[in-house]
Amino acid sequence: MSAVQQICPEWEQNVNKEEFKGIWVFVECFEGLVNEASLQLITPAKKIAEKLNASITAIMLGHRIEMMLNEPVYYGADSVIYVDDEDLATYYPNVYGDVLVNLVKKYKPELLLIAGTLSGREMAPYVANCLRTGITADCTDFDVDETTMDVLQIRPPFGATLLAYIRTPHNRPQIATVRPNVFNLPNKDVSRKTSSVIREHVEIPRPNVRLLSSEKVEKEAAIIEKADVIVSGGKGLGSPEGFRLLEELAREFGGVVAGSRKAVDAGWIPHEKQVGQTGKSVKASLYIAVGISGAAQHLFGIREVKTVVAINTDPEAPIFDNADYGIVGDYRQIIPAIIEEVKRRRRG
Amino acid sequence: MPLDIVVCVKWVPNTQIVNIDPRTGTLIREGVPSIINPHDLNAVEFGLTLKDSYGGRLTAIAMSPPSAKAGLEFLIGMGVDRAILITDRVFAGADTLATSYVLAKAIERLMPTDLIIFGQETIDSSTAHICAQTASWLKLPYIYYVIDARLEDGKKNIVVKRVLERKIEVFELPLPCLMAIAMKSNVPRPVTLSNKIKAKMENLIEVWNNEMLKLNINCVGLKGSPTVVSKSIPTPVVPRKKLKFEGTDPIEAARWLLDRLAEEGVRVI
Repeated sequence: MSAVQQICPEWEQNVNKEEFKGIWVFVECFEGLVNEASLQLITPAKKIAEKLNASITAIMLGHRIEMMLNEPVYYGADSVIYVDDEDLATYYPNVYGDVLVNLVKKYKPELLLIAGTLSGREMAPYVANCLRTGITADCTDFDVDETTMDVLQIRPPFGATLLAYIRTPHNRPQIATVRPNVFNLPNKDVSRKTSSVIREHVEIPRPNVRLLSSEKVEKEAAIIEKADVIVSGGKGLGSPEGFRLLEELAREFGGVVAGSRKAVDAGWIPHEKQVGQTGKSVKASLYIAVGISGAAQHLFGIREVKTVVAINTDPEAPIFDNADYGIVGDYRQIIPAIIEEVKRRRRG
Repeated sequence: MPLDIVVCVKWVPNTQIVNIDPRTGTLIREGVPSIINPHDLNAVEFGLTLKDSYGGRLTAIAMSPPSAKAGLEFLIGMGVDRAILITDRVFAGADTLATSYVLAKAIERLMPTDLIIFGQETIDSSTAHICAQTASWLKLPYIYYVIDARLEDGKKNIVVKRVLERKIEVFELPLPCLMAIAMKSNVPRPVTLSNKIKAKMENLIEVWNNEMLKLNINCVGLKGSPTVVSKSIPTPVVPRKKLKFEGTDPIEAARWLLDRLAEEGVRVI
């Protein structure tokens, strides 16, 4: 760092990047369950670890979490640091955030990955800011800059037509969130073991915040990120009733229904079923896009789909250039014909 | 007991009317007007509803280019009492840390206040960072995804209901605190004519620049941003077969599609 460089006096001065070593993955384990989205982070962590010649540490906070400590190790973590305390029985962002901040200050990891679950998205920016370091949301890939050894945090900015490579050149740790299901789980190897499991005892802050009640909400079983077949509707459906036809088609294929952002904005389908950059990334083997024009943000959500089918009245819609099979026409006629044909073939 | 509430909003390109170039699939941004981030309107509505229940004052603040004044007039049209446009060239190019720093310093000038509210995220960058980062600068408790709130013990505590993936939680937080309101959790009220006239006639929008805030220029804008964009590359295009059914008969189309899918190994039996 050059002597003339002025940095904000609010930041930690003269951060020595060399002191920060290792990759941390924050592993959510609320209510006795290890969050799969957190374990998926071990996939990019391994890629970065290889380039940085670093090890991967899983960080787990909670109460009575001992039986879950091996889980991240099975997926590739080299060590585990955990805090088990009655005061961590309930997740609350400031409390979990402050504990994580204290651990980072003690161990100085160079990179911290946090799953972009709702609670992860709530806590991560607080942690980053308390450490006076940068944070990149919703990364879809990572690399390492070979001259600076900074981690390149890759994310699609607004519009999704570009991928931005974001660095944190002066501050540490580098912090990034990743949305669930952007990466696959690494292979699970239950014979994997580690000799390094550290129980930390840190002071748990006691803010004047109380959980008064918590009520489980049963959500529909159909989670679009895990569906093998998705029938997805856009503005071109013309009305929310169009989704009934899509549901009928989805049933024939044993699939689920999803939608584009415009369908969500119109209130035709809930946000948790939105496919695209600001919704979910899906990995179906078959994705049938009905009345979806094919904006770059939408295409971003289906980049891992094996086969894309497009049905649209507009032959110029960009979706046709980004589909394997396209049919130009009115879905109100085409979908009943497909359903009929499926039934006919099934009867043999 | 009246509440003093600050709502932070962002002035964003209206992506809802952005059109797509049919050749390139990219967004056509030229001539696209900006709007107040739609998810922030849920926060404004939330603040107005609290004001309706308890009385008090709602102040909107935005760190934006001068054109955001039109957006703040819109919010006064909805019923916001006062608006502050924080604008200065030195604030440009800020990442979320540097943005939240300016907002936090502006909010400090508005203290004492009871509640600082935000939208869940913006439609142009969707990071959902700012509320948590601002809470960190102000050293106050915060909570996201709030759908409902009521005061307890006079004005000491606020009881909030919030929604996570698979649960609804009720927390009690001390005032002052920060909260991000769940997107689409209410219907923002329309602008009324009398409020709109008020916005035009009375000088309800203040402009704050860095001469007034006197922030260290190394802490704001591009200089105050720990993250930098080192390069941008076009998103790789996923290769697809691009086969189109030639014809108009829906039954023929259905047969063609199912034959192709059968070749791909998709079984319907």
